[in-house]
Amino acid sequence: MMNAAQVTQLRADVAANNGGTPLYAIGGDEDLANDTDWQDLLFGTGLQTSHDVSVQGGTEKGTYNIGMGYFKETSVIPGDSFQRYSIRAQVDQEVGELFRFGINSVTNFNKTSSIVGIYDALAASPLLSPYDDTGNFLESVRLQTIADDSWIPTRNELSRIGDGKKNEELDFGTYNNIYGEVKIPWVEGLKYRINVGLNFRSSRDGNFTGEGVFSYNESNPSSASYGTSITRDYIIENQLLFDRTFADKHRVNFVGLFSSQETNYDSSYLQVRNIPDENSLWYNLDSALSEDITNYKTDYSATGLLSYMARVMYQYDDRYLITGTLRSDGSSRLAKGHEWVTYPAVSVGWNIANESFMETQESINQLKIRIGYGETSNQAIDPYSTQGRLSTVNYNYGSTFATGYYVSELPNSKLGWEFSQTFNYGLDFGLFNNRLSGTVEYYVTKTNDILYDLSLPASSGVSSVTSNIGETENKGIEVALNATILDNPDGLTWDAGINLYSNKNKIVSLATGEDENVGQLWFVGSPINVIYDYERLGLWNESDPDFQYLQDYEPGGNVGMVKVKYTGDYNADGSPTRSINSDDRVIQDPTPDFQGGFNTRLAYKDIDLSMVGTFQSGGTIVSTLHSSNGYVNLLTGRRNNVDVDYWTPENTNARYPAPGGIQSGDNPKYGSTLGYFDGSYLKIRAITLGYNFNQKFIKDIGVQRLRIYATAQNPFVMFSSFNRESGLDPETNSGVDSNGNRQNVAVNTTNISDGIPTVGANAPTTRNYMIGLNITF
Amino acid sequence: MRKIKIKSISIAILSIALLIGSCTKDILEEETRGVFTPDFFQTELGVEGGLTYLYEHLRYLYGQAYYYNSLETGTDEYAFAQSADNNFKDADLSGEGQIIPDTYTTSIAWNTCFPAINTASGIIENAAAVGLDDSVIAEARFFRAFYYFLLVQTYGGVPLDLGSGELAFNNSAVRASVRNTVPEVYTKAIFPDLIDAVNNLPDSPRLTGSATKNVARLHLAKAYLTYAWWLENPNNIPTYPDTNRTDPDGNGATYYYQQAYNLAVEGIDNPGPYKLLDYFYDVHEGSNDRHSEMMLYADRTEESEIYNEASLGWSSTGGSANTAAWMVTSNYTSISVDGTSAVLREAAQSYGRPWTRMAPTINVFEETFAEKELDSRYDGTFVTSYRGNWHKGGDTTPTLTAANGMQIAPGDAVMTFLDEYDPSVDYSVNGGNLGGGEVAGRSDYVINLNEINRRFYPGLWKIGTYRTDHDVATELGSPNGAITRPFPIAKFSEFYLVAAEAAVKGASGSYTARDLINVIRARAGKWRFDNGEQVERIEDNSAAMVAATPNVIDIDYVLAERSREYFGEGIRWFDLVRTQKWAEYAASYEIAGNDASDHSPVTTTRTIQPFHYLRPIPQSQIDGLDMTDAEKTAYQNPGY
Repeated sequence: MMNAAQVTQLRADVAANNGGTPLYAIGGDEDLANDTDWQDLLFGTGLQTSHDVSVQGGTEKGTYNIGMGYFKETSVIPGDSFQRYSIRAQVDQEVGELFRFGINSVTNFNKTSSIVGIYDALAASPLLSPYDDTGNFLESVRLQTIADDSWIPTRNELSRIGDGKKNEELDFGTYNNIYGEVKIPWVEGLKYRINVGLNFRSSRDGNFTGEGVFSYNESNPSSASYGTSITRDYIIENQLLFDRTFADKHRVNFVGLFSSQETNYDSSYLQVRNIPDENSLWYNLDSALSEDITNYKTDYSATGLLSYMARVMYQYDDRYLITGTLRSDGSSRLAKGHEWVTYPAVSVGWNIANESFMETQESINQLKIRIGYGETSNQAIDPYSTQGRLSTVNYNYGSTFATGYYVSELPNSKLGWEFSQTFNYGLDFGLFNNRLSGTVEYYVTKTNDILYDLSLPASSGVSSVTSNIGETENKGIEVALNATILDNPDGLTWDAGINLYSNKNKIVSLATGEDENVGQLWFVGSPINVIYDYERLGLWNESDPDFQYLQDYEPGGNVGMVKVKYTGDYNADGSPTRSINSDDRVIQDPTPDFQGGFNTRLAYKDIDLSMVGTFQSGGTIVSTLHSSNGYVNLLTGRRNNVDVDYWTPENTNARYPAPGGIQSGDNPKYGSTLGYFDGSYLKIRAITLGYNFNQKFIKDIGVQRLRIYATAQNPFVMFSSFNRESGLDPETNSGVDSNGNRQNVAVNTTNISDGIPTVGANAPTTRNYMIGLNITF
Repeated sequence: MRKIKIKSISIAILSIALLIGSCTKDILEEETRGVFTPDFFQTELGVEGGLTYLYEHLRYLYGQAYYYNSLETGTDEYAFAQSADNNFKDADLSGEGQIIPDTYTTSIAWNTCFPAINTASGIIENAAAVGLDDSVIAEARFFRAFYYFLLVQTYGGVPLDLGSGELAFNNSAVRASVRNTVPEVYTKAIFPDLIDAVNNLPDSPRLTGSATKNVARLHLAKAYLTYAWWLENPNNIPTYPDTNRTDPDGNGATYYYQQAYNLAVEGIDNPGPYKLLDYFYDVHEGSNDRHSEMMLYADRTEESEIYNEASLGWSSTGGSANTAAWMVTSNYTSISVDGTSAVLREAAQSYGRPWTRMAPTINVFEETFAEKELDSRYDGTFVTSYRGNWHKGGDTTPTLTAANGMQIAPGDAVMTFLDEYDPSVDYSVNGGNLGGGEVAGRSDYVINLNEINRRFYPGLWKIGTYRTDHDVATELGSPNGAITRPFPIAKFSEFYLVAAEAAVKGASGSYTARDLINVIRARAGKWRFDNGEQVERIEDNSAAMVAATPNVIDIDYVLAERSREYFGEGIRWFDLVRTQKWAEYAASYEIAGNDASDHSPVTTTRTIQPFHYLRPIPQSQIDGLDMTDAEKTAYQNPGY
């Protein structure tokens, strides 16, 4: 962000573009004598702690493994914390000759807290000061600029407020899998197995904000909310398993499966304001008046899935392998009559290394070719989508309150499964005593009847319908190589691994037969996730040959504004026949050319040094901090601004436009295009230095293994133009949830597909230093 | 021992297997509990909820700041102000922006009306099936016509078939659309629906603010009037989709002017529960909201945030929130006197949250509201004095030193816009740090109305914030919450002005245009309170007002009278488009620059072309259509 001098200069530059008057002059509590680094006053030091203890044992007939763990992380943002307690248990026991039973259970309890976002600190003017005239920290940092009244978060204030602002989310989850197996005595190799999975998750989220807390308005009413949810799943799988080798060479494996699973979810939520006794947090919501209820809700959903599957695998002499699968699934989420889908898969493999003619080849330990064709299916839509949706609204007729309904989603009585057909080709190899091993895989996947929420034009009177919208294709290649370059148990060993992958996605066709659906950002031949926006060429400068037509291209435009590509026709004199408009948006593919990761480990005697990294070549990073919707690159001087290189009459070759020029909303026109950066980068995720104690005294005290290590996480980034400009981590920190919706809403979704993650004003990636100890008794 | 264990486990397996057999049948059945499906619309409660939605949906238009902007900025009432972003500069058409298919503000009506129209059609289809009264259907038909009337005035011809047939409830996922012509929309949808509504709606509202016979009558009169103008087309403004200016029923403009007149006079003669209030001031005074002159409004409430659908504490703008007044409120909070912020942000009708996005032009005060002494409407429309309230912010300083070294106390005027031009105003003192001037003997800083700038100008009192949930004498309240007052849509007074306009266009009957206008003007002459001076003022200037009415009323006079009566209520653009006077009235305006100390007005010219009389079809609509490029191009209004 900018410092005081930079903000002051920015405002002066804004004024220069506005006939001498700044859009936002110095005002309110601002003072030229101040130069506050608000981020410095907010961010603290994060801490990560992790402990794990486990006990394992066993006999010929059974094994057990029991463990517990504790993990705690506090972020650089005060009040952000995460704690996890976990217990694991795994027991396997044979009973007699025929029976076998087991249980695998994991139980977690998490505690999460998050009380403040960082936007207010980023956007706060450095000309404001958190101190009063006598140099004491303000009791509450409530400050004014000419346009904004703001409350600014600082460590000091957060610690002073204490329980005045509290968030506590508790999550309990237990995941249990119990199985029983019986060998059918009169058929060799035949077993029946039953798996029962029982999961239970519950969550409780409490939030409290005291009167005037985190608000410019001292008398802003207090508010509190309490929400709970319970999710229950069960799955019952009945399996018939057969595995037998005939005449030493013919191995047959058969699996037959019938399973049913169901998930039930329900939740409740209550939010009120004006809590009489702030000490009660969210534990006494009933003490507020009923007219102070600001939100209340209960919810329910249930989904079911039935599956039948049969798989036969035949292997001849460890050389030839063929597998055939047939599967049938029925889902409650899909429309009546379309619940079921049946699909096959076939694959063949040839283990060349096991051929007799390869026996003389000393250097080849493993060589295997695989070819497969398979179909898979997907029902990832919200339950009840096929039935349409009536949404509710609230209204008051004077003092009479009423609830209204309207159709927001149409039913779709034809909604069926999305299914994919994949061809894949693979090669596995191991050379030189397996010191060099690797895998190469190539696949082509065609996905049909993609399930998607299809928006309807406004004139249809209904906003959307969940549909099977079309067909996509994914083609990709994955390569993994692992090598032991040096191998001296008494001296230096060096292992290295690298993996590379590249995936190209495109829409093959749309169900309606059209070539594009611009409203939805779907274009046949382009990836399903695209940026559809103006193409930024640079900035308008007086030296441009077409500058004389600026007002034709951009009515109301100014020198130094963002220049985007014009795709229309020209008049005889070279002027454009129209101004730049939505027809000039172009499809931009944000997919990287390839991505990958690498790891390497050097060991000398008891010391080892390892490194893990990741890289990406090409593609586009979308930074909401630099684009319009982040609201920290307004370039008007209204709030603090990302420290960007902007246009001035002396600096005409800048990336960012002239401040205070033509606006779109509160942002520079075409501000969305300022958030696109080249996606290439290479990043070291972690470097670890470890030492294993091998001294005799260690064994003497009963310790089998003792290791001490130090790790630096996220130490550095290379080859990233985005990182060079902004100092930010090019890895996206705002992902996409399981429903394909972006978590960071500060993105202009009319330009960018929902499936594209972004870098935004979330908790930033931090550089961590850790030390650790492993002890095995 | 061991044997028993095995047995019990195998029994357990067996019983689970049995369990599977019993529950597999129904796990693929969906039981909707947490959500409603469209089937609920076929119940009585569902239909009634559908009607409530039609009212609730008004909030997305009436009080919605950006929609409001699109109907005011660029007319002769408002221009963009100092903090205006492109939403306001585009609407101003003064060279700093343009209206294109991507323009957000002109897309709002399109994106808002169709869901309401579809819901209305759903009610109409289902209500009879569940045995509901004709009056329920009439209420839905009123709203279907209401929303279609809005669309046809804004965009020209619009589709009557949303996907499942003409005027049918759409339950298909069709993504093609065909626009009907303007006369089709009027004669197939708007007129039949409104005639049914006039016939079947009750005289008195079902619930506070719900539609009645006379509400439908007023809208039918306005629809006839607007359609008559369209048929006459005096300034040769294009229509789209192309069609001849002939009525399918074979009637001409004269016939519809007369129909408008007849309906309006019928409304005046059969007022039902409605009437003109005695004082113009009371029409907009916050404590008086939902009175008998206000026939239709988009209601809000401070009693419940849930039912208000917008935060009572700190609200964003847009959506269903009523924040229109914020746009036209200049940032008075930077008034600084004696080193003190003297006028704090307060939840009171003269103050509220300042966004400085739209400024009234100097012409408004010099021409439309030239008469400020006899006519109470200037005083009852604008905020003309900003008064000290620092004591409500906790500052106990009893007095501050203001203009001419004189002292002011809380409640005294700090900055005042002068009713009458005073050439002696000395602006060199930059009074209030907001460009105020001094005149001899006054403790407040003053500004002449013909010297206002885009930074500081009179606010719009009539639709300002009004809250009762704090101690108004000692506290500032919650000025940043969305405005909790109903936003006006139609008033009883409009019957007079509609009838007068029809009469000007040749209609005749029991009242002349002058008779009708004079009812409104006589009322405007009555004072009971002086808003600028904040003192009681009992005065009856009715006779003088009537005497000042010209003998011959023309359309310009009706339009000026409409602006005085409905200034800043989001009506002006429709008035100027209907009468095809927009380009003439709004071609230029005067106001000084962005700096508070700038008191040298300049003239800004606008480029309003004939195609601007129809708004562009939103790009999102075009993008969402499954049609050929040629069909999509033909779907758009010409010029965009």
